[in-house]
Amino acid sequence: MNCVELQQSLAEVEDASTWQQRAHLRTCPACAALVRELDQIVAAAAELQGADEPSPRVWNSIEIALRKEGLIRPQSRRSPLSSFGLRWGRAGWLLPALALLLLTVGLYLRQQFYPAGLPQEASFSRQDSISQPRVAVANSGGLEDEDLMQEVAANAPSMRPQYEENLRRVNESIRDLQSAADESPNDQEARRALMDAYQQKSMLFDMAMEQSLP
Amino acid sequence: MAVKRTAKLVAIGVIVAGALVAESKKELRFTVGPKAGVSVMNPYGSIWVRPSTNNTVVVNAVLHSDKVEVDNNQNGNRVDIQSHLLAGADSDTGRVDYEVLIPADASITLHSSTGSLRAEKLHGDVTLEGPGAEVNVRDVSDAHVHVKTMNGPVNLENIQNGHVEVDSLSGEITLKQVNGPLVQVVSTSGRINYIGDFGNSGEYRLSSHSGDIEATIPEWTSADVSARSTRGEVHDDIPLQPKTHTWFPMDKGRAFAGTMGRVAVSSTVVLRSFSGKIHLRKRSEKQ
Repeated sequence: MNCVELQQSLAEVEDASTWQQRAHLRTCPACAALVRELDQIVAAAAELQGADEPSPRVWNSIEIALRKEGLIRPQSRRSPLSSFGLRWGRAGWLLPALALLLLTVGLYLRQQFYPAGLPQEASFSRQDSISQPRVAVANSGGLEDEDLMQEVAANAPSMRPQYEENLRRVNESIRDLQSAADESPNDQEARRALMDAYQQKSMLFDMAMEQSLP
Repeated sequence: MAVKRTAKLVAIGVIVAGALVAESKKELRFTVGPKAGVSVMNPYGSIWVRPSTNNTVVVNAVLHSDKVEVDNNQNGNRVDIQSHLLAGADSDTGRVDYEVLIPADASITLHSSTGSLRAEKLHGDVTLEGPGAEVNVRDVSDAHVHVKTMNGPVNLENIQNGHVEVDSLSGEITLKQVNGPLVQVVSTSGRINYIGDFGNSGEYRLSSHSGDIEATIPEWTSADVSARSTRGEVHDDIPLQPKTHTWFPMDKGRAFAGTMGRVAVSSTVVLRSFSGKIHLRKRSEKQ
């Protein structure tokens, strides 16, 4: 099993418990890290559903996970994630929520792109193909992008124009591919390309978040 | 006039001396076993990784000011190096340039926001990430090569039997003599250049939403090729045995699909763009 097959298989077996998945994860640190992140996001998502604003426990658990990954170090003052949450107040949860939304859309598209069998693919309706992604595009192109740009401006001001330009391009690509998928709902390539575009946007958000870490 | 000149010289001397005082070097050494893991996280500055001659990891760091320090940690067979920015550090004063020697079979993870990332002559897994980093990987074999950038250019050369995945938003990506069971490049608007022969029995998928894709291959290549640009053009300089059945529409000038060379050892090559131009070129004798 290679990295692509592993990522595809996660749509079916999300906990990576099959022997093929485990064998690949033992030899591929990148995929192992991906699975760990998915687990953490799922755990954090359960917490997010309980309140408008996540409890400090959510920030703490994310911080602990990041510290375990070696991405941040212990500090005597408050954690960067806590400070991020405080700085943005009640809107502070928007960024992780958007990342979660992007991931959810990606998983949704992955499932649509790799159906269990051809009959299922044949029964894929136009309504199914366009409803959820259309909502996601509307959400991902709004206020959250601006929030992210402000975060980049605060932490890596010299790179803001580059982030801005790349965000614009990836949003444009999502819009193009969404239209293509709407026009041809049974076009697997269009759905895969749309999934790739969402993953590119997710990667941009990951990079911007890493800029804000110490 | 003489006073003015002397003042100038003194000022220059102070600046140079200040820079020399601020810049410092640090060397770290670690003994590791086979298939060690090494990571270097460097917000600002370059990282160059080469093979060492024995089972040691040697880190040579040039710190550009006293507003940054190098943290290190060894946990068994794993070595972590991190540039630790202190209060007031910015992209200039926080810069550290690393030269790292590792056993050739070690896996490495490198991260830099703006510096160049370079890895060569290794056969352990290589993961390189950085928004604006220029990435250069060459002479790597039997390994996973994963690259993620935003707008930094990516150059991979002589990667043999690699499991290669490149994700980039807008940087130009060049793959020269890169082959293996999986070679996958995804870009939003970056141009993708592939120069090589697509190896044997691998899966090659190059896609860019709006960037152009150019694959330059020798005539004797064995490959099952499909190319499609939804709104761009496709060009094919090499005669392919056309496929009788494809699942996407073969609009003239927008798509082509066919096989070349020996089917038994052919690789699968997928070239995809939304609005970019795709060109499958025959390699000339000079290339």
